Amino acid sequence: MTQASYNPVLSGNPQSATAQQYPNGNPNAPYNSPGSKNTDSCVPLDHAEEIVHDYNCDGPAPGNIAFRWLYGSNVAAMNRDPRIQVVQYNEDTFILRENVCVHWEAPFTYLLFGNKGALLIDTGATPEAAWYPLRDTVDAILARWARIRGKQTVPLTVALTSGEDVAQNQGLVQFVGRPDTTLAPTSLAEMKQFYNLSSSWPSGSAKIDLGGRILDVIPTPGAHKDGVTFYDPYNDFLFTGDLLFPGKINIGNDKDYIVSLTRLKEWKDKHPVKWVMGGHIEMQFVPGKAYPRFATYKPYERLLQMEPELIDEALTYAGEVAGKELMLIRPDFILLNQVSPDQRTQVFPAGVPNINAPRPF
Amino acid sequence: MDPMNRRSFMALPIASVLLPVANAMMLPEADSEPAAAEYPLAEQIDFSTHVPAPGSFPDKWICGSPSCMDNQDPPVQVHWYNEHTAFLRQNKAYSYEAPFLHLYFGNKRVLMLDQGFTQLRTDWALRDVVDDCIEKWCIRHGRKSEDIPLLLAFSHLHADHYAAINQFADRPNTRYMGLTHDEMVGFWGMTNYPEERVTLDLGGRNILIWGSPGHVISEFAYYDTYTQILYTGDMFYRGRCYISFWDKWFDSMKRLIAFVDTYPVAHVIGCHVEISRTGEDYPYGVTYQPDEAPVQLTVAELRHAFEVAKTITKPGIYFTGSVFLCNQTRGTTTIDKNPYAYSTDI
Repeated sequence: MTQASYNPVLSGNPQSATAQQYPNGNPNAPYNSPGSKNTDSCVPLDHAEEIVHDYNCDGPAPGNIAFRWLYGSNVAAMNRDPRIQVVQYNEDTFILRENVCVHWEAPFTYLLFGNKGALLIDTGATPEAAWYPLRDTVDAILARWARIRGKQTVPLTVALTSGEDVAQNQGLVQFVGRPDTTLAPTSLAEMKQFYNLSSSWPSGSAKIDLGGRILDVIPTPGAHKDGVTFYDPYNDFLFTGDLLFPGKINIGNDKDYIVSLTRLKEWKDKHPVKWVMGGHIEMQFVPGKAYPRFATYKPYERLLQMEPELIDEALTYAGEVAGKELMLIRPDFILLNQVSPDQRTQVFPAGVPNINAPRPF
Repeated sequence: MDPMNRRSFMALPIASVLLPVANAMMLPEADSEPAAAEYPLAEQIDFSTHVPAPGSFPDKWICGSPSCMDNQDPPVQVHWYNEHTAFLRQNKAYSYEAPFLHLYFGNKRVLMLDQGFTQLRTDWALRDVVDDCIEKWCIRHGRKSEDIPLLLAFSHLHADHYAAINQFADRPNTRYMGLTHDEMVGFWGMTNYPEERVTLDLGGRNILIWGSPGHVISEFAYYDTYTQILYTGDMFYRGRCYISFWDKWFDSMKRLIAFVDTYPVAHVIGCHVEISRTGEDYPYGVTYQPDEAPVQLTVAELRHAFEVAKTITKPGIYFTGSVFLCNQTRGTTTIDKNPYAYSTDI
């Protein structure tokens, strides 16, 4: 029998919740896309030399967030989930998340590999290694990765989307004194020097070369005065930290915020962007609803990844809050300008379904 | 419902349910608790002659931890204010609300005010902690715990004050308040809420109860004649008093002031603490308050807050020096600021 057409809706697979569009695979996609050739095969028994990946690929590198993020527990003190959740996006990209019951900000950190080194973007909200073993976790991933790729050493660079953000700079102390490690400075002036941006901040940009995988450092102050965004041309990700993430975005300076979003929009128009990856999730999977600050139980979280079109939307609505004391709700994020981080509003966007997720009890 | 039944419950002892008690004398007792030997078997405790009964608060209550999942404190701290009065404080790592709960013991029954912000006994068993307190008190005073009825009531109709109530559903010799305004008022046999003041006799120890709406519609004030502690719930406490209904709240304040004009009051106690010793506001929802101010307030602080309240004419947040009066601001704004705000004009 010949199958005339494939209807994914009729072949749902409950194990494919993260790929609902084609739960059993897209029959129209090619079996052998060019990108698969860029990474090595594990078929050879022994590798005599270091393995080199080609990070130049058409379109985003293949990868998937195939697991649900941990979401804390009703009684935070009784939580026994891992202190750091590790999700491998692809062999050269890891996403780490701090357990929300260790720190309510539950920040994401990103670990990226190139042929000559690794980059850790952000370091979480907790300095104590016993509570938040970021260094040990990163060391273990680096050791495993080095073994796979036949490397003796993997130089590590630790950089921050904001040096002042205590939800992202606290784990930095765990890496002080680590061999073969470069720490980006936390003060604004030194950070500009570090990236060689002293004369061109914030309009210029810098590069971090991991060996075949060259990331761009884009100054994006606005949420923080020292905010930067990292662009990864391998996965086509923008790592935006607190500037743009699915949550309550506290604007530090609305003029800078608009300039930075404009810069990202221009960047997006010139470079392929698959997803915007922020530093946190605070939104729920019902539109326009966020978890309150300090929540340690978030069973109905939105996904981490944001479509690049949300940059345009954020820019549009940043213009609406500029110069005002205002909290403005959008389906995928909330802008807070010149108001308390715990600001409430009765104004819900027109045309967006107003749904309340169930309370824990 | 027949109101006569409710009233007759207030007056009559409940038939006891006998259960075997495993060698209760073996239960360990904390050093701070009075020794059992001072009390003869089943003595009738005098709750009215030497008042106010003195008592003490801990220097520091448990107050959460920077990492919730690494918290080593018990889910609830039990503090015996005096021989016949226990205060419980829920751990902030178990709920950011961290409410205070009260246990008042009388010759004939025990009153528990507020049931904390936990639902399931498998999460943590508030019921077992309360049972243990009652057991210890009964051992000290020559009673069988199964003979002592337990009354569970709450300050007001918010979940952080009643959530654990169903843990007591299968507890013998126990009665608790329903979760509607009508059931609450009916539980105390009131027909003229909020003005009516009823007297609950725990067996020689009287608790005065009257309505205290303003934070919510359904709230009571409780006064213990033995310790002379006035319990004001979420309507007045050392933190952000979220005033939903200003006129009703102001009238309730007038009732409180009239009460302290008439009755001696040792301490005024609310349900939470949200302020540091230096007057810093701990933001809503925070799970670690390392430098908390005491839970108890003075009558002078209550009177001063009333004087401040007299000057308030519009919604907003007003700090009296001991409490924040948040007049109709719950749905709009709060106190703290974005620490990362900066100016580019400099």
